[in-house]
Amino acid sequence: MTAAELSETLFSPVTVVLYGLAMAAYLYAMAFTRVDRAEGDAAVAGVRGQRIATTLAIAGLATHLGHLVARSVASGGRVPWGNMFEYSSVMAFGVVLAGVVVFQWRLKRPEVVGFLILGGLLTMGAAALVWSEPGPLVAILQSHWLKIHVFAIMAAATIFTVAFIFNGLFLLRDTAERRVARAQEAKLTGSTVGAAYDATATEVADPVTQATEGRRNPDDLEAVDHDRLYGDALRAAINPLWLFLGTWVGTATIAWTFWYAGDVNRFFTVNTAMALAALVAWRLVHRLPSAATLDSLTYRTISFGFPVWTFAVLAGAIWAEQSWGRYWGWDPKETSAFLTWIGYAAYLHARATRGMRGRGAAWIGIGAFWILMFTYFTVNLVVTGLHSYAGLQ
Amino acid sequence: MSRPDSAPPPQANPPVRHGPRVPGPVETVVFAWRWLRRMRTALYLLGVLGLLSIVATLVPQRPNVPGTVAAWRAGTEGPGRFVSGLIDAIGGYDVYGSRLFLIVLVLLFTSLTACLIPRYRALWRLRRAVPPRSRDLSVHPEQASIETAAPPEEALAVAQGVLTEDRWKLRPDDADAPSQVAAERGLLLREGGSLLFHTSFYVLLVAIVAGQLIGFSGQVAIVEGEQWADAPVGYWTYRPGRLWSEADHRGFVLGLERFEVEWTDDAQPILFRSTVEVTEADGTTSTETVGSNDPLLVDGMKVLQLDWGYAARVVVAADGEIVHDAFVPMTATETAGLWHGAVKAPALDPDLGLDLLFLASAPEGLNGPEPTGAPWLEEPALLFDVYRGDLRFDRVQNVNALDTTAMELVAQTYLRENQALELDGSVRVAFPEIRRWVAFQISDRPTAPVLLVAAGLILLGLLPALYAYRRRVWVAVTTDLELGRTVVSLAGRSFQRPEAFSGEFAEIVETLRQRLGTPSTGGEGEPRPARETEVVPR
Repeated sequence: MTAAELSETLFSPVTVVLYGLAMAAYLYAMAFTRVDRAEGDAAVAGVRGQRIATTLAIAGLATHLGHLVARSVASGGRVPWGNMFEYSSVMAFGVVLAGVVVFQWRLKRPEVVGFLILGGLLTMGAAALVWSEPGPLVAILQSHWLKIHVFAIMAAATIFTVAFIFNGLFLLRDTAERRVARAQEAKLTGSTVGAAYDATATEVADPVTQATEGRRNPDDLEAVDHDRLYGDALRAAINPLWLFLGTWVGTATIAWTFWYAGDVNRFFTVNTAMALAALVAWRLVHRLPSAATLDSLTYRTISFGFPVWTFAVLAGAIWAEQSWGRYWGWDPKETSAFLTWIGYAAYLHARATRGMRGRGAAWIGIGAFWILMFTYFTVNLVVTGLHSYAGLQ
Repeated sequence: MSRPDSAPPPQANPPVRHGPRVPGPVETVVFAWRWLRRMRTALYLLGVLGLLSIVATLVPQRPNVPGTVAAWRAGTEGPGRFVSGLIDAIGGYDVYGSRLFLIVLVLLFTSLTACLIPRYRALWRLRRAVPPRSRDLSVHPEQASIETAAPPEEALAVAQGVLTEDRWKLRPDDADAPSQVAAERGLLLREGGSLLFHTSFYVLLVAIVAGQLIGFSGQVAIVEGEQWADAPVGYWTYRPGRLWSEADHRGFVLGLERFEVEWTDDAQPILFRSTVEVTEADGTTSTETVGSNDPLLVDGMKVLQLDWGYAARVVVAADGEIVHDAFVPMTATETAGLWHGAVKAPALDPDLGLDLLFLASAPEGLNGPEPTGAPWLEEPALLFDVYRGDLRFDRVQNVNALDTTAMELVAQTYLRENQALELDGSVRVAFPEIRRWVAFQISDRPTAPVLLVAAGLILLGLLPALYAYRRRVWVAVTTDLELGRTVVSLAGRSFQRPEAFSGEFAEIVETLRQRLGTPSTGGEGEPRPARETEVVPR
């Protein structure tokens, strides 16, 4: 078996299957894990599921790393980020790695890891759509700046992808929480009859219960009952059909690129995959951390990615000065990278502005990620410019 | 009890109707300044700049691809003539040179200036700001208390010591409340970092614009073995900034000794390298190499390798007299292994023009050269169409193409290297040698160091602007008369990143506990968050 074949096999099916199983195990464990974080008690159930999930994820990361190394060997020993397939693959690796190392181990948020692996799998799917054979680099890419600039861009894009997952989950959870709260308010102010029996009413009124939702002692049957009712209410607050259609149409604003560069099947595949991912999140909306937590995770992730992106764009300008003889030429890729920077800068400014916090800022964050995807897929596959290294024929 | 009647009597102040008011010039300026001072305005302007650059991404730009723009305007390519006219109306074919772009840029500069000046003033005042005392320590998110045998004054002094060592800014002692220490930290760093970031971004934009005014960029093609001198007339393309003068040329001489190019087996180029002999303005001579990502600095001007091609020496003689003997630089075409060029010999009557096609790799087949498409030399062939007539030198000429509108095709043939042939008896064409040419870009960007420094400062400012956080700590003491002990209460509040502050607060409490000689008991003295809710950082 040659290095190229080995690399391909390790990518798919090996890593894809391992990630898929890990994701399923994480999502499964979410439904059973009830840990009171403040007390620090061990999980009552689902600990085993989580352990299996972690093991599978680490195994997947190992085979993914193997794939990248084999790819590097097959390409003549260069860094494995020279074309679009490789960037996507490295980014998927980064998303899953961040999930396990940063969010599970460091920030103790195992409940978001399943969704990060789902994001990693979707990124791998996108990579498979722009598959290209391993080979040496074109002359202009042979520079130390390749390692610096491209690595920084990939790292920032990975961080922004993680942030986008949190941002999407935030919007979903926030919408559900708001709708439930509004429904309760209407019910309580409209008529007091039945309010005493309405288990969800107390849940909504009390922010403490809301924040620690899903992590209480299961021996307390009443609490479980409250949880279940509130969870049902959250799920019922979102219409899955609209969510599916909204995600489908939203994704289509970028995915037409795959139609343009490939065929109509890819377009439908990408949209449907994203819309199905949204349905998975909807199904588990009651197991998600609170909207406030997700909002905070989004902000922290973006404010970590922003300096990295800034550095990457500046490093790109330095490389362009050396390689093309001008630091900035409004090449389509340069322009859209700058637009991405503006998008995320707008998010950070929105967060700093009192009136814009929460949903307003979150939608700006979604817009910024849209520009990032435009920069990555549309500019690479549709617009011709100096950055045409997608590696596609 | 009746309320006093505070309602105004009817018609006490009859509304005065003013006509439409025209603001005076001063008012307009003040209003414009206020509008520009808003952060929102700067963001909108940045957004408009972004939108304009999207247009420039999607629509071909005249300075980059004039041919495509001409085709869009003519309607032969692109969205058709109507849309094309609309694009033209907003200056969409040259966005970065358009008046709209200039206006937005000027407004953005003014807006950034207007935003920055008040923030500098505020930062200056902040330097002297005193951390406020807290009336009620129990309202803050971070809480802790320590019991100690030390007297209250000593406990406070120790707390002050701990905070001073940690570089906290303390409220100066005053007589009013000797029982409390108030300290603050992180505000100057966060605000200062943010200002450094915004100022550096501003400087970066100024340096880019200034660089375009005083900078220079030009391109030249040099054939192997030939020399070229830096002078205004020597360039193929010449793009000086508005404030660049011809006297700014250094006058160095470049000689291209050889050019190396290597390919993989499937014709992917993996190496381009020029070896040049440089004679600087002061006469010093050296041999240097210029590579793909490896430009050369000569007399402060940057020499960058841009492009290359084959150059065929074509000799045209008529009646024994040589009318053309030069290397003709030929540019790559979209077909692999095929280069294109032109020879113009107006000295003949009628004019002679040769339209050249060069096949780098074309072994002799049954019907003449059979191109393989490879870019390396392997039985190269020079195909030419011979035209006679008028070269139309009265029109603008493209160096690499013939204007055949007034010419007649008289022959189509080809030559191998070192071959020659006779055309209609008196004209003789020879192809004695093939070399390569390399296009270099010669540029002078005097503001580049400023850009580099500004870029570095942008990053340097960004980190504290995002990660430094403003937080306050209060320490108060009370005496427990029953036990005869001093109770030290600590409270803390962070305005950003509360999760990072929690750990820091716990450390302060622990240090203070050790200094006061209280054993870490767990229980009572443990720092504990006041509320169980998750705190949202800004």
